[in-house]
Amino acid sequence: MTAAPEDDPRLSAVIRLAARRFAEAVCPPEVRAGNRTERVLREFGLMLAALPPAARKALATALILLDQGARVYPPSRGRRFARLDDRTAEAYIRALLGRHDAAAEMVQRLKSVVTMCYYDLPEVQREIGYDPAPYIAAVSRRRLETYGPQIRAGEAAATEELPEPGEP
Amino acid sequence: MSVRRGLTSQAEITHELNLECGVVVVGSGAGGATVAAELAEAGVDVIVLEEGGYHPTGSFTAETGRALRTLYRDGGGGMAIGRPSVLFAEGRCVGGSTVVNGGMSWRTPPRVLDRWAEQEGVLAISEEDLDPYFARAESLHSVGLQDPETIGRDSELFKAGADAKGWNIVPNRRNQLHCAGTNSCTTGCPTGAKRSMLVTSVPRALSLGARLFADCRVDRVTRSGAAVTGVTGHVVRPGGRKGPAITVRARTVIVAGGAIQTPSLLMRSGLRSASGQLGRNLSLHPNAMVTAFFDEDVTGWHGVHQAFQIREFAGEGLLLTAVNLSPTMLAGILPAYGRELGALMADYNRIVTAGPLVTDTGTGRVRNVPGVGPQVFYSLADRDAVRVVRGVELTAEALFAAGARRVLLPFAGAPEVRSPGELRRLLARPVSRRSLQLYSIHLMGTARMSEDPRRGVTDSFGEFHGAGGLFVTDASLFPGPIGINPMETVVALALRNAQRLIERRDRLGF
Repeated sequence: MTAAPEDDPRLSAVIRLAARRFAEAVCPPEVRAGNRTERVLREFGLMLAALPPAARKALATALILLDQGARVYPPSRGRRFARLDDRTAEAYIRALLGRHDAAAEMVQRLKSVVTMCYYDLPEVQREIGYDPAPYIAAVSRRRLETYGPQIRAGEAAATEELPEPGEP
Repeated sequence: MSVRRGLTSQAEITHELNLECGVVVVGSGAGGATVAAELAEAGVDVIVLEEGGYHPTGSFTAETGRALRTLYRDGGGGMAIGRPSVLFAEGRCVGGSTVVNGGMSWRTPPRVLDRWAEQEGVLAISEEDLDPYFARAESLHSVGLQDPETIGRDSELFKAGADAKGWNIVPNRRNQLHCAGTNSCTTGCPTGAKRSMLVTSVPRALSLGARLFADCRVDRVTRSGAAVTGVTGHVVRPGGRKGPAITVRARTVIVAGGAIQTPSLLMRSGLRSASGQLGRNLSLHPNAMVTAFFDEDVTGWHGVHQAFQIREFAGEGLLLTAVNLSPTMLAGILPAYGRELGALMADYNRIVTAGPLVTDTGTGRVRNVPGVGPQVFYSLADRDAVRVVRGVELTAEALFAAGARRVLLPFAGAPEVRSPGELRRLLARPVSRRSLQLYSIHLMGTARMSEDPRRGVTDSFGEFHGAGGLFVTDASLFPGPIGINPMETVVALALRNAQRLIERRDRLGF
């Protein structure tokens, strides 16, 4: 089972800075280990690229608003989100999520996408006991060993009445 | 049998294409692939245009992020705007949503068919009328029960909870050929055991002479007067870039893009329904997810995606199911972040996720928004919100009965619940509608069929009222929600409508 590599997406510097800080705030602390944050940002870039242009723009704008909006959050003392210390950044996110309005919904959506990107990293999955490839290989083998003839017959039955190209 | 014969992907299209055929089909999912194969078998010259790419079975892995980007529209992140908004997912690849659905295959409940006949005057829609089409759908896609060794511990616990409560729970009927239980349904079945359109009707259609163009988006249905003349569109390059134009001339056009894309395409083609129902009447079976933590190792990804359904509350429009989610998906829905999220996810292998699917009475609408494209709006009815909460409560009760130590509810801001008593106390107070976290994978009803052109967009067999040669064959046709997984209904209607087309081929001119 292989899949073709995907193009490496590019996040703008502004988005990248805000997204990095956001990832550090909403992912577990282990996101700072190794180059995980970089890889979360790459995944995030790929996810943004998969969205339609309007949704991509909305999420990117939300990140910028989140970043600049921190300036009017009193404990930040005028700093943008990307420049906040961990405790203030966390408190800022908590305050946004607690608002139950459109801003909270957008931050919630951003949080979902970024944490999905973190838990899509294979070593993070292995750390919580999820390693599907060997399992898939084993049960796929068991399937063929147990039901091989029936599977071949079933697959053939779906197409057995089909003429070969060129046949009348 | 090679699927490559008759299949053309974007890399092979270097310049503008002008094609001609008897019937052009837009979409290669449950409706499109089925009707294409049936028509090809009858000797009709068929072209299928699919916006998504061709991804063969051998390319499928359990990598959720990659699957969301390659097999789903918009990375699986569709959103129906409302209070609350509802996240939804649509497949976009050769084989359509059947490549990424859970593989549940159920016949339409007779009471639903009766309602369609009585309220919309839909012809030839009784249980008896559809029986041969259901039987053929089940034969084509190997529908049956799961082999016992593939049922995972999460499903066993869910069943144990239902049994302890004395509730009716049934094993799922699935379109699978000795499914291995890899739990990869939503990222593409890596063994081909799930008999999606990718491994059944698509190769069948191609072997019978149909031509399929992947990575080709249809922009408009073209017309001359009241009659359709084909479609125009363009090749989709990697990253969504626009490639060469495509024109297909055909006297019959069948649109099968699903309940969001089908009305969007018809509306941007300038088509209007006298009923005013095109793009309206959207149902989406809202569902919500309860996350339960057990003391024992569950390892829910060892076993089939979804083995049982609790039917005890079907009369109330509630189905309850347990569905294992990959870490990627679970992290996206858990109501936590940072260190707290890490602590919850550390127990990943002790988690069972389950929830209700609601037969909704509220409806939504698809509109084309300039500069944005199709946008979905959905208004959750008050009584549906009440049923979501009840479904969540029942699901949590079943999970507690199975031994869950604590559960997280899909209500923003809700505290963790540690006992059935706490659950009852918490839900004795009203739950804010806006706090409900809802998802959907069943989208229906936006080009509903009715014999009465004042009520429906198409007639009983999917022909668009007022546009000669234009047909719809997907879940858009459903006059309302069906309360069950919709794939087999889509396939059965496609088989039935294809037969009707073949019977009328002289008049239709193909």
